[in-house]
Amino acid sequence: MPERDDIHDPIDEAYVRAEQALDDEAARAARRARVLAAAAQEPTPAPAAKPAARSLLRRYGGWLAAAGVAGISVLTAEQVNRLSPRRQQFTPPAVQPPAPATMSAAPPPPPAPPPAASPAPAPATPPVDGSPASPKAEPAKPAPPVVRIAPRPPVAPPPDIAPPPPLPIPPVEKPFASPPPPPPIAAAPAAPLAAQKPNAFSSEAAGKVQEDVVVTGTRQQRAASPNAGPVAVAPKLDGARSLREAAAAGRTKEIDALLALGVPVDAADDAGETALMKSVQNDYPDAVEILRRHGASLDRKNNAGKSARDMAKGLTDPDLAKALGLTP
Amino acid sequence: MLRAHGAGDAHAFARLYDRYDRPCYRFIRRTLSAAHADAADDLHQETWLAVSRNAAGFDPSKASFPAWLFTIARNKVWDHLRRQKVAILAVAEDDAVMAVPDPGPGPLDQAASRELAQRIVEAVEALPLAQRETFVMFAHAGLSLEDVAAATGVPLETAKSRLRYARNALRQALADERPAHA
Repeated sequence: MPERDDIHDPIDEAYVRAEQALDDEAARAARRARVLAAAAQEPTPAPAAKPAARSLLRRYGGWLAAAGVAGISVLTAEQVNRLSPRRQQFTPPAVQPPAPATMSAAPPPPPAPPPAASPAPAPATPPVDGSPASPKAEPAKPAPPVVRIAPRPPVAPPPDIAPPPPLPIPPVEKPFASPPPPPPIAAAPAAPLAAQKPNAFSSEAAGKVQEDVVVTGTRQQRAASPNAGPVAVAPKLDGARSLREAAAAGRTKEIDALLALGVPVDAADDAGETALMKSVQNDYPDAVEILRRHGASLDRKNNAGKSARDMAKGLTDPDLAKALGLTP
Repeated sequence: MLRAHGAGDAHAFARLYDRYDRPCYRFIRRTLSAAHADAADDLHQETWLAVSRNAAGFDPSKASFPAWLFTIARNKVWDHLRRQKVAILAVAEDDAVMAVPDPGPGPLDQAASRELAQRIVEAVEALPLAQRETFVMFAHAGLSLEDVAAATGVPLETAKSRLRYARNALRQALADERPAHA
């Protein structure tokens, strides 16, 4: 069945006839009346003149607002910078006594508390697939106050302004750098994920750091003790399924992130289909390439006895063939 | 016609609507599949209202009107599915569609029968979303493959592959129907 994609096929014809056979003229007429009535009520789309007049205000208004916000954040950042050396001098004596008692995960010392909660909305991670992005924020909040509020009061003398936005950014990076020493295995997978994409997964802002570490830590614990973990993240993340869905949609960053989390690359669904098969079927060479790089099997078969290699046979996309390693 | 509508011609929009209403509605309806069929009317209306509102912004040098219309319709459908938290591309597992030999027009000629028509439509609705929308746009709405690719935001080769997968899957599904139907 060579090159007939552009030509209408008998199956197309059959479908068109089927639709005609099922056509409901009465419903169509009702629909038409409704749509045209609704369209008539809409204000007529006035041509260019109106928007042009408005756009001046809109455009400059936006810039003005942006400039205002930028100015405020620069000012607050300056103030924070002025304060920060003092804090570092003060904190060590205050924190050191409690530190040995608890553990090294405490490192992110001063800046987080007040802003950590508020800045989260800024990156506003998209909803993507699963539901809970908000429930996760809750477990993150209780954690910081426990240790950090104590060291804060000594630094408090300059509580003049409590300007939030710019603060969270520095603290985020610090904690990422620091976790590696204390936690032995867990920190390794967490870092790439957070670095790549805050997207569907936990890391939203400052407070997230701890949460990520917790999540990856409990993932391993969970194997041994299923209900042990505190985490709300765990149940929502059916990694293998997410991986297949991401592969079917060609969402390469998500695929990367899931694989970095340790999701098995060849996990199959009820039909025996793997992420690689999904990517091949929907023709996403980039996704295929990533999956292959992570060792996805070309020859594993689904319940119908077809492998990704078989599925790729009829494809014409040279990029896909290349990604599969079928052509040089 | 779109320009005439933008210029205030009250009948232009109706003429445009009449020309594309059927394929547009069917595209929305089939892409939603049976589970979300209730939303089809609303999304269809929203699509046409969006056309009406944005008529002035349509640039024929960038895309044909059908491609533009179906892009809007598709966005409406996907937004709806996202709101409903539907796993968009995990709709159906098509097993071995590539290996199916082409049985030719055979039973499809009998599509006049309403029952068989229903089965054909169900088979279309069972296709994975990406293949389904490609197939319906091409087969029913008469969009060129280039327009389909533009409306779905994928390269031409991808659109071709999806169309081929869809046809093969339909052939298989309908070939499977044959014994049962007989």
